[in-house]
Amino acid sequence: MDLDVHLAAIAAGDAGAFGRWLAGAERPVRESLRPFAVHVDCEAVVQETLLRIWQVAPQIESDGKPNSALRLAVRIARNLAISELRRKRTVGVTAEMIESVPEANPAEPPDPILRRAIEECRGELPLKPAQALSARLENGGIDRDETLAERLGMRVNTFLQNFTRARKLLANCLRNKGIAMEELA
Amino acid sequence: MTPQERDELMAAVTTAHRERGPHGEIEGHRAFYDLDDPSRAQAFEQTLRLRALEAAANPTSLSTTARAVLARIRRA
Repeated sequence: MDLDVHLAAIAAGDAGAFGRWLAGAERPVRESLRPFAVHVDCEAVVQETLLRIWQVAPQIESDGKPNSALRLAVRIARNLAISELRRKRTVGVTAEMIESVPEANPAEPPDPILRRAIEECRGELPLKPAQALSARLENGGIDRDETLAERLGMRVNTFLQNFTRARKLLANCLRNKGIAMEELA
Repeated sequence: MTPQERDELMAAVTTAHRERGPHGEIEGHRAFYDLDDPSRAQAFEQTLRLRALEAAANPTSLSTTARAVLARIRRA
């Protein structure tokens, strides 16, 4: 799969095309940050990287190989993580961090059978965990947990406990259907 | 730190919500800095799986991270 098929539309400012690129690119970008996972908050690095790709898309030129934008994103992510490490000065930057550029392969589209299994398992969740999980999923990272908790009439600690419970129950339910959570990543 | 406090911090870190810094940069989640190294590594793997699950559950195959990024673009 070559995500560069979306590049011209993204460069023209088509956010929908960028969404289709994101669907395949997010996972490999995140995975490429595993060597930094204990030192920097990779979620922040992933989001900053993806925003930068949107900003520089008109300047990205294909080198003739597939996924030039994705490969650029992996390099940007690694450089951002290294910059953050240097800024914090909490740990040295190792040769492995600088030199290792993992191969970036786009994520495959989700399986419809998996989607149906998730829906069924969500339907079996107790009320409060289901509310916490839905709040996160429907909000799409717009608001902080304190706001989501308040809307549900929960304290933030209770919200987080319910979210954790939902995650574990969902994993158990999917496992019972023959889907391991590890297989989702 | 009790196991429950640790679980709450881990759950907090897995959100796709991130604040903006004074110069517009996306900031790390404050809960991340309260976790020890093994918990941070575990939170990374947990987030990876959660995002895959979110994408699988979403009609347009977008995780909460992807939707947060798109929301920032559309707001800009």
